[in-house]
Amino acid sequence: MTRTTQITILAVLLGLLTLFYQGLWGDPRHIPPVLVGTQAPIFEGPDVESGKPLSSKQFKGKVILVNFWASWCQECKVEHHNLLRLYDEFKDNPEFVMLGINYQDEVPLARAYLKQYGSSFPHVRDIKGALAIDFGVYGVPETFVIDKEGVIRHKWIGPIVGDVYTNLTKNILTPLLNGSNPAI
Amino acid sequence: MIIEIGHFSVVIALVLSVFGIVSSFIAVQTRNVDWVRVGRISLTLIFILLSIGMASLIYSFLVRDFSVHYVAATSNSQLPLFYTVAAVWGGHEGSLLLWVFILSAFSTIAVWLHWRTQPAIMPYLIGTECLLILGFLLLIVFLSSPFERLIPTPADGKDLNPLLQDPAMVMHPPMLYMGYVGFSIPFSFAMAALFSGRLGEEWIKVTQRWTIFAWMCLTTGILMGGYWAYYELGWGGYWGWDPVENASFMPWLVGTAFLHSVMVQEKRKMFKVWNLFLIIVTFSLSLIGTFLVRSGVLTSVHTFATDPERGLYILIFVATVIGIAFGTLILRANKLKSQVEMDSMVSRESIFLFNNLFFLVAAATVFLGTLYPLMIETWQGAKVTVGPPYYNTVFMPIALGLLFLMGVGPYIPWRKASQASLKKNFVVPLAIGFVSTILLFALGIHSIFALAGTFVVGFSGANILIDFGKISLLYSRRESVNLLKGSLLAFTSNQRRYAGMITHVGVLVLVIGIIASTVYQTEKVVSLRVGDEFVIDDYRMKLERIHEVRGKNWSAQEGVFKVYEGDTLLTTLRPQKRVYDASQTPTTESAIYAKNMGHIFLTMPDVSPDGVAVARGVINPLILWVWGGGGIMGLGVLLNIFRPRKRDE
Amino acid sequence: MPHLLTLMILLCFVFPSGVWAETVDETEIDEKVREIAKILRCTVCQTENIWESGAPLAHQMREAVRERVIKGQSAEDILAYFHSRYGDYIMMEPPKHGFNWLIWLAPFLLLLGGGALLLKEIKGWVTRTPAPPTETPPPLDEESRRRIEQELQP
Repeated sequence: MTRTTQITILAVLLGLLTLFYQGLWGDPRHIPPVLVGTQAPIFEGPDVESGKPLSSKQFKGKVILVNFWASWCQECKVEHHNLLRLYDEFKDNPEFVMLGINYQDEVPLARAYLKQYGSSFPHVRDIKGALAIDFGVYGVPETFVIDKEGVIRHKWIGPIVGDVYTNLTKNILTPLLNGSNPAI
Repeated sequence: MIIEIGHFSVVIALVLSVFGIVSSFIAVQTRNVDWVRVGRISLTLIFILLSIGMASLIYSFLVRDFSVHYVAATSNSQLPLFYTVAAVWGGHEGSLLLWVFILSAFSTIAVWLHWRTQPAIMPYLIGTECLLILGFLLLIVFLSSPFERLIPTPADGKDLNPLLQDPAMVMHPPMLYMGYVGFSIPFSFAMAALFSGRLGEEWIKVTQRWTIFAWMCLTTGILMGGYWAYYELGWGGYWGWDPVENASFMPWLVGTAFLHSVMVQEKRKMFKVWNLFLIIVTFSLSLIGTFLVRSGVLTSVHTFATDPERGLYILIFVATVIGIAFGTLILRANKLKSQVEMDSMVSRESIFLFNNLFFLVAAATVFLGTLYPLMIETWQGAKVTVGPPYYNTVFMPIALGLLFLMGVGPYIPWRKASQASLKKNFVVPLAIGFVSTILLFALGIHSIFALAGTFVVGFSGANILIDFGKISLLYSRRESVNLLKGSLLAFTSNQRRYAGMITHVGVLVLVIGIIASTVYQTEKVVSLRVGDEFVIDDYRMKLERIHEVRGKNWSAQEGVFKVYEGDTLLTTLRPQKRVYDASQTPTTESAIYAKNMGHIFLTMPDVSPDGVAVARGVINPLILWVWGGGGIMGLGVLLNIFRPRKRDE
Repeated sequence: MPHLLTLMILLCFVFPSGVWAETVDETEIDEKVREIAKILRCTVCQTENIWESGAPLAHQMREAVRERVIKGQSAEDILAYFHSRYGDYIMMEPPKHGFNWLIWLAPFLLLLGGGALLLKEIKGWVTRTPAPPTETPPPLDEESRRRIEQELQP
């Protein structure tokens, strides 16, 4: 066996080991989504609770936080109290809008869910899942932040808990509302 | 109580595996046979203890002891008995236990079987096998134990994944594991050869049957998985190039290369390092496959609950085994200056080398394709999919090349092929290949895949038939018997060769099945009400009624379709849309009718509340050749394993 | 006219089978949807396209494809839309650009490179091997020559 062969074998093995090791700790949620930095799609649909039509057009020029959820989703229950807390924290700011998008759900179940876990901000029904596809959603929960120009500035796959909450409020929402550019 | 006995046995087995490693180490140092005996006893006891562990787990499943966490997680009280046994390896923890149980069984058999003839190898063999067993037992005992209790005890368990409640899935994992684990025997012998420096042809001759047995199990396991996907997943395909499937296909590819390459060493005493390399790669790929499947690195986006600790442990273990194996190979390889003698560029030796090249490139392709998304994700932070279209494109030329070599290799002499003999052997088969391609083209088949496939299949098939025809004729003349008896005599005169040829025929049949059923598949999806009908290919399917059916642990909507060809009623097909009680998971159960070696495949993926059913009909021509080819391959292997021993073996 | 339609619908319930039975078939739109759906990946599945997958998301994506096909969008437009939302991940095979060429070409490069290397090695071995004794054996008749050759084959 020549020296070159030996070195090749070792290099390949080491490369694989590194790859596997990094793969183990790699968090699939940290993948930069293609939509961040692009114009957010316009979305509209009936309000889950009242049934009245809601459209993103009516919130033009504001910072919008969009959260996709469903009543059958376990992770959504985990983050729900944080969503309520977040809304309470920012609701007095006239520039801030928060919208839930109810995904792949049935109205009675969704209403019961909101009744049980609490509801303070409006929720749009995504009837055919078309909104979710517009936003490139993989599953629920997923959260987006849209800036005043209507550009998606942030996406988070998974529940808003712990550090994620702090990061979202301190590093993204607050600067956006203050008109400065957040370091994302 | 019973499950604690199992748990305890497995813990003792773990201790004994350490003991086995230590004793074989001492045996090597002191050259004292008694220590080897101690190792043998440890290994045997490990096997017995793991049998107890396995039995206690099966028992807990059978008595439905839901106080055992694993039992509660993968079965419930309504699960039919047959699938209850399958549920033992229906989850992560149980399948690991099955892995190590088969490993202990095979290594115990190997030690007792080769004890007399291979005394010098024994301590190394025992040591390697005990190391492998230890690695798995540590994982089972500390990180994923199927013996854990669940407090408080639930009234009923969850359910075995409905997709796994299927006869093929009962046997698929054990077959696959027997394949993976079977390769551990030649691997251990190879390691023993490396450690002991007894690097002749002996380890290869001893393990020849093990290798081919492992290969057969792996092949069967893969085909069963394909068959399961075919009728359980309901889209009429049998191979999806899924990471899990790829994980089993990679060791198969390199194992097949090894299977062929060892023949060169047996005959010509060449490529010693190469064969060691191949078996190490084969077994390493089995382990890496386990890592990939079990650690969750390759699962899709929304698996939030991955357990990096378990993955990390498996990685460390796999890296240790692979590291030791390649490390020893690199250190020892220079002692192995085998004299490579080649008389000619064109000889069976060189064909074997190209066969190896093609198999390795095929394996590398699957490997790269499987890991590419992971590479892109970790190094570029983007996501990409490598799906069936990619594999189908790049794999086709490689597979065709292999099939062509399959037609050449066995009919070219060792050492040197003269131009005259090449002409004599290959002109007719080449002509047959060409003629059949042109014929098919004239019949209106214009797919390049199908035409190229026909050429190589025609060529290789002609070679096999002509060769066997010639030798049968020779035998029938020499012994003055009829041709049938002559062919039997010819077959038994060199059973290993001709059993191999049967396997090759099986491969050709399989390939024809694959080509026909992929290129000429017809598919139609329609929405229809009761009384409506739709036409697919030459068949007319009429939806007679939709009704409710009830199984032991599921209920279903069943569509009753009458299938007509012209005006004659062929059959009634009853596809179902099932919902399993416990998990409320819906599945689509396909209904299949076999005709002209092909399938009429029907599913009913959806029924709307107002009675509109979605029906999906698929016509898969010659699909039975896929499974039939697999059967012929298996027959060839069995004839190889159970051949009468020759004097020189 | 509306009355006739109501009547027909009613009749369907009265005579659920047979009477108003019709032969249904795939429309051009169905075929187009299938073609496109087979190229798109179900993002929540293990390497399955949205055509074959039974996941709810796949179902919705199929519907989204259908809507766009009905609107008259071309396959390229629809694929581009999905690509703009999900990136390369949504395509069943890696798009042939940039770094992805590596994976498309690797098998063939390996085959060519390995083949060249192998040929070179074999050539080296052949030249290093001492030539076999050159004395010509006595000629054999065809029959026995063939027999010997066959017997020699393993």
